[in-house]
Amino acid sequence: MSDTGKNMKPGIIAGRILLLLAVTIVFTLSPSIAATGNVENGGKLYAKKCWWCHGKEGEADGPAADFMIPPPRDFSEGVYKFKTADPKAEIVRDEDLFRAIKHGMPGSAMPSWGEIFKDPEIWDLVAFIKSLTDMFEDMDNPAEISYAGKIPSSAESIEKGRKAFEAAKCFECHGQAGKGNTIKKLKEDSGAKLWPRNLTKPWTFRSDYTPEAIFARVSNGIPSTPMPSFAGEKTEKGKLSLEDRWHVVNYVMSLKDDSSKTKDGDIVVRGIQMVELPKDENDPAWDKASATAFFLVPQIIEKDRFFTPTNNLVKVRALFNDSEVAFLVEWDDRTKSVPGDDAAAAIAWGDLTPDALAIETPVVLPTASEKPYFGHGDASHPVSMMYWNSGSVESPNGTMLLTTTGTGNREKSDATAAGFSATGSYKDGTWRVMMKRKLTANADTDTSFETGRYIPIAFANWDGSNGEVGSKHTLTSWYWLLLKPETGNAVVVLPGLAFLLLVGGQLLFAGFLSKGRQSNKS
Amino acid sequence: MKFLKPILAILAGYVAIKFGIPYVGSLVHPGTWPVVPTSVLKMYMAFVTLGIVMAYTFDEEGYAGLIGPIEDIYSNPSKAIVRYVVVLLVGTFGAYITYEYVKPTFDAPIELRSVHPAPPSNAKMWGKTYQIQTIQNPYREDKENFAKNLEEGGIVYYKNCFFCHGDRMLGRGHYAVGFNPRPANFVDVGTIAQLTESFVFWRIGTGGPGLPSEGTPWLSAMPVWHNLISEEEAWKVILFLYDYTGHSPRVTTKVEH
Ligand code: HEC
Ligand code: HEC
Ligand code: HEC
Repeated sequence: MSDTGKNMKPGIIAGRILLLLAVTIVFTLSPSIAATGNVENGGKLYAKKCWWCHGKEGEADGPAADFMIPPPRDFSEGVYKFKTADPKAEIVRDEDLFRAIKHGMPGSAMPSWGEIFKDPEIWDLVAFIKSLTDMFEDMDNPAEISYAGKIPSSAESIEKGRKAFEAAKCFECHGQAGKGNTIKKLKEDSGAKLWPRNLTKPWTFRSDYTPEAIFARVSNGIPSTPMPSFAGEKTEKGKLSLEDRWHVVNYVMSLKDDSSKTKDGDIVVRGIQMVELPKDENDPAWDKASATAFFLVPQIIEKDRFFTPTNNLVKVRALFNDSEVAFLVEWDDRTKSVPGDDAAAAIAWGDLTPDALAIETPVVLPTASEKPYFGHGDASHPVSMMYWNSGSVESPNGTMLLTTTGTGNREKSDATAAGFSATGSYKDGTWRVMMKRKLTANADTDTSFETGRYIPIAFANWDGSNGEVGSKHTLTSWYWLLLKPETGNAVVVLPGLAFLLLVGGQLLFAGFLSKGRQSNKS
Repeated sequence: MKFLKPILAILAGYVAIKFGIPYVGSLVHPGTWPVVPTSVLKMYMAFVTLGIVMAYTFDEEGYAGLIGPIEDIYSNPSKAIVRYVVVLLVGTFGAYITYEYVKPTFDAPIELRSVHPAPPSNAKMWGKTYQIQTIQNPYREDKENFAKNLEEGGIVYYKNCFFCHGDRMLGRGHYAVGFNPRPANFVDVGTIAQLTESFVFWRIGTGGPGLPSEGTPWLSAMPVWHNLISEEEAWKVILFLYDYTGHSPRVTTKVEH
């Protein structure tokens, strides 16, 4: 036994006992705080911070409600999506509402309020929200779902999970590779447009990316959406046994793909020099170039703004040689939108138009910091735009080379002279598009891609199954492209030279000083 | 051990720039860790080193204290081994520095922008020309309808601004991450709290493209609002910005010309 107890001063002991007491009190009290949240105070906070989205009476009709996807929750219905209650319970747990408010819902407009409200205030909000419907009347807070039977992740369990993902037909909505490339058109119960989650991007999960949270999702489904509850016995159709649910959880956890995530401060497309450029977008030579990821945001800046995008990220690579530069742009897109394809038209919202991509670069490379206005440039700063779209079933791959001087002002430039070509292919929820062109062309209308120079670059993207045409699309602001010429021997020669010079110099210096010493002595 | 102090001082400088600045930044803007870019760090470190060496060699004695041991290492016959080790170390260090310079990197260039450049004396918005110094918020003194105007301002905000400037005005709307520069954080004391309502009105009316070139108008995603909302809506949303954040607009003491 340790002897800490013996030597402890009475004051410290008393302090520890007090602390222990306080902790016990807080723990035993918190459920009762939950139960007794102050509706009136919650109402006040709601009227200041929440009604803008959720509406004055909680009917999801606040002034902001039309400007987001997914739309805000309708509290008058009393149905909540992210439920950790036992699957048999009809209602959500207070703790689920608390979590959604405190931590927010990533990938949606619902912010995390934990930085602004203290826990008791959040419990007041929970109480107020519950008072907006009669769903909770005379109901006790239901018990939490049991997490018993949890299976640690292993290659074997993930493989069983993959099979369960097939068996339960998760892939019909979430796609074979989990990217949310659905084969069905989905709606919320309210009729609002709904796209299944891309399971490779867990940072867009509304709830947590933990085995427990995903287990609760699979067991409870997502109420008010078509994602059903899978809790049941093996023999029941469309259900998964307890064991299989935990395997599927491990499978979902394994789908995470960090390359589809932006990295802070990583804003340069790395152009690598090669002798021969890849021949198409699926050429394995592309593996030699590393990808940089950029966020896509909807066009919310100029007239005909667009607020309900689906695609949220592009990954870009570049390779070049003496005469040409090639780009590979990849993005997860839940739908392959090619006009003329009936299956695609059936799940599209609005008219089916082609998916499209544009890469923009200034015609005149900026010498100082000044650039064209981001996006389409301006009257005195034209921008060159390489454009690709999915074309149609009869003729895939539409391409154009454009010069733009501000929104709406665009002219075709000579694509043949620039040697411009673009092709794309779609697999498992991801487009890969390659664009290729000469490094230099008509200096008045096209960008000259000088090597070794930072070139501003921006992207625009259209999802043709989501009503994205014309000015309704997603975009990025200016980032950089650097076509880095091979450094050749310089990387070795220059440091070597520096080494020799410094060593030689020091030896000379030492010789000099020792001579001085000797002559001083003599 | 004359050496120890200046070396420790240089190390302290490094730690302050490498970790101190991001730490302070994280206090000012919770949830961020604004690192100093490597190239700037190098520049600062050059200044720090130079300053410290200068300070320590300021007088004759300090100079001798610093230089004496160096001379000794290079010339004392009994320190031959130390000497060769030092010679090799210095050579290797030089080679490393050179390598750092010539190795292929893809570090983004640094772009400087002035966040609050001086506004022009007048600006064209909503088809009219405004003298920016003199305009005032017509709703500020209307106490009778204040609550109503404020709520209307809030509605303008939640139909037009929140997806960039954020539902809580922290500059972290759900699309903020896609823009560089990031949308302004109105809660922060560095934005509307230090601006006059007329300046804010000009910024809203003319947006990013209305900035003078030191404000990098070509980068800012701030829309040109006189194309999208009415003048009345712009004044009302300003009421709301100040009310929600609890800041008050800066008032200029009138300057007579
Ligand atoms: C900027 C708009 C916005 C504001 C402001 C906002 N919310 Fe939300 N909220 C949303 C959206 C959007 C959703 C739905 C997300 C989804 O369906 O994935 C949501 C969902 C919710 C949910 C449902 C969670 C679930 O599991 O179904 C709760 C509870 C909630 N909000 C509470 C609040 C409270 C309390 C406030 C004020 C403190 C608030 N919200 C403010 C946009 C907002
Ligand atoms: C009928 C279509 C459909 C099926 C089948 C389906 N899902 Fe979903 N799933 C959805 C939709 C739609 C969403 C997004 C709901 C939303 O955002 O409101 C979703 C969301 C999710 C999420 C995200 C949770 C979060 O926190 O954001 C996970 C995880 C998930 N599903 C897993 C699964 C698994 C595992 C299966 C099979 C066992 C499955 N889904 C079957 C439609 C489906
Ligand atoms: C597309 C995103 C976006 C939208 C929408 C947007 N802003 Fe901005 N705003 C920005 C960005 C980015 C900045 C910072 C760059 C700058 O100063 O131009 C900014 C800056 C500002 C500033 C300057 C603050 C300062 O300290 O100088 C004000 C004021 C402002 N916005 C008000 C508004 C108002 C009011 C609305 C809604 C009517 C709005 N913004 C909508 C992106 C946006």
